[in-house]
Amino acid sequence: MKKKAFLMGTFWLFIAMIPGFAIAEDFLGVPLIPGAKTVLKTKKRIEMLSPLQHDKVVEFYKKAFKNLKDIRIRDWPESTYIEDDSNNPWHSVTISKKQHQGMTSIVIVKDNWTWIMGTLILRFIGVFVVLLCLFAGMSIYGAILFRTTKKAIPAKK
Amino acid sequence: MTANEILDMLNGILYTTGVANFDWKLIVMWGIGSLFMYLAIAKKYEPLLLLPIGFGIFIVNFPLVPLMGFSHEGHAELLRIFYHYGLEWEVIPCIIFLGLGAMTDFGPLIANPKTLLIGAGAQLGVFVTFTGTVLAGFTLKEAASVGIIGGADGPTTIYLTQHLAPQLLGPNALAAYSYMAMVPLIQPGIMRLLTTDKERKIRMRQLRPVSRTEKLLFPLVTAGIIALLVPSVTPLMGMFMLGNLMKESGVVGRLTDTAQGSLMNIVTIFLGISVGATMHASKFLSWKPLFIFGLGLVDFGVCTAGGILTVKIMNLFLKEKINPLIGSAGVSAVPMAARVSQVQGQKYDKTNHLLMHAMGPNLAGVIGSAAAAGMFIAMFD
Repeated sequence: MKKKAFLMGTFWLFIAMIPGFAIAEDFLGVPLIPGAKTVLKTKKRIEMLSPLQHDKVVEFYKKAFKNLKDIRIRDWPESTYIEDDSNNPWHSVTISKKQHQGMTSIVIVKDNWTWIMGTLILRFIGVFVVLLCLFAGMSIYGAILFRTTKKAIPAKK
Repeated sequence: MTANEILDMLNGILYTTGVANFDWKLIVMWGIGSLFMYLAIAKKYEPLLLLPIGFGIFIVNFPLVPLMGFSHEGHAELLRIFYHYGLEWEVIPCIIFLGLGAMTDFGPLIANPKTLLIGAGAQLGVFVTFTGTVLAGFTLKEAASVGIIGGADGPTTIYLTQHLAPQLLGPNALAAYSYMAMVPLIQPGIMRLLTTDKERKIRMRQLRPVSRTEKLLFPLVTAGIIALLVPSVTPLMGMFMLGNLMKESGVVGRLTDTAQGSLMNIVTIFLGISVGATMHASKFLSWKPLFIFGLGLVDFGVCTAGGILTVKIMNLFLKEKINPLIGSAGVSAVPMAARVSQVQGQKYDKTNHLLMHAMGPNLAGVIGSAAAAGMFIAMFD
């Protein structure tokens, strides 16, 4: 009996010592943090709640992605946003900083054309905005110069 | 000395030559380098750049040449030094823009600032090509660097590519400069397709005279707005505007002459040979460069169409219509694209001179492509 208990204990200790991501599942190639509860899962998105603190979750994913190129980690006020700029099937991992009932929210999103087209359209409009601002600047200083010259001409007369 | 020792010595000498380390792929690169040198010398296509680029491709594609690597002591070799300090540090594109600014007269743009919108519209191809490139399996950063080719701005292409995807520097720069030289071949068909006979004959009012004060304020206002809205391209546009301010001030003639003359020539040599030197057979001979060349052509075409369509949309709201033939000049191959507009315009009305009108969007395209590059850098920063 004691021997059985000892063997069971050793077995579970061994299991607990294996690094989490080695036995974790994955979603589109992104390892799922062990112990996290899946709240929503579709083909394009997975939302999970993890009992780990935000910093531990970020550490986990930094380790998981350390060999990947073109990964950007953005520190936003409400969350940490990990984005893939290469051609992996996943687009981003968002790890919330605010805890919900003592749990950290993790959202993994599939690479999607909506994001790409959306950002392209916004940036194309952005080019117009920049040049419109320049247009406005030129119009303003043009008007100022015109009025200055107009005042100067009667003064000369 | 024994015969064996002599044979060993000869063997040793043979194995340090390029002959013993030869690869068939190098012959392909010689052909490519020679093609660009031929285009430069015989056809006079962008010779200032295609000649050193072509030669750079040719000379680095020999075995064991100590040009782009590191010596045994760890020192960078000749062309590696030019590449590192000129391109990796993004110095050369900025100095070229200094020289370009010193050569540029922004009068036509200042006289008709509406043409800024044409310069913006002509960046359509940049974003369309980005989508196509992502579909083809390139990463987002690579797609952005390929897309900017359509802006037809060599220094901007090099600046952005070095920033986002330095592994594509050679093919991107080559595509950009090759297509810039082929603007008179690419654009006319698209211009005819997208305009009606009536539109091609639109006459525009002569541009108003632009005062010296306006020309002095323009670089300051532009540099300020770019620095505020797209700070990532301030090194490029800042140098562009400095060159222009030097020119317009009229008080630093020596500096202006140097910037547009000898300094520009020096960096052009280093730029050309460094870009060419990045194209070793081991990196260049894959599907990506060919794809980039193909996409570059589409990019130019869509940018041309974008400029023309922008004019047509503007004409819906304007009382004084703009001739849509100048829309194609939003592709910032200065002044070639403006000349194409002039030539095409005169085919339909010999007395219609569009050159100065087309210079406005042509110059706006330079600012537009820099803004587009800034948008891409911001996307990844």
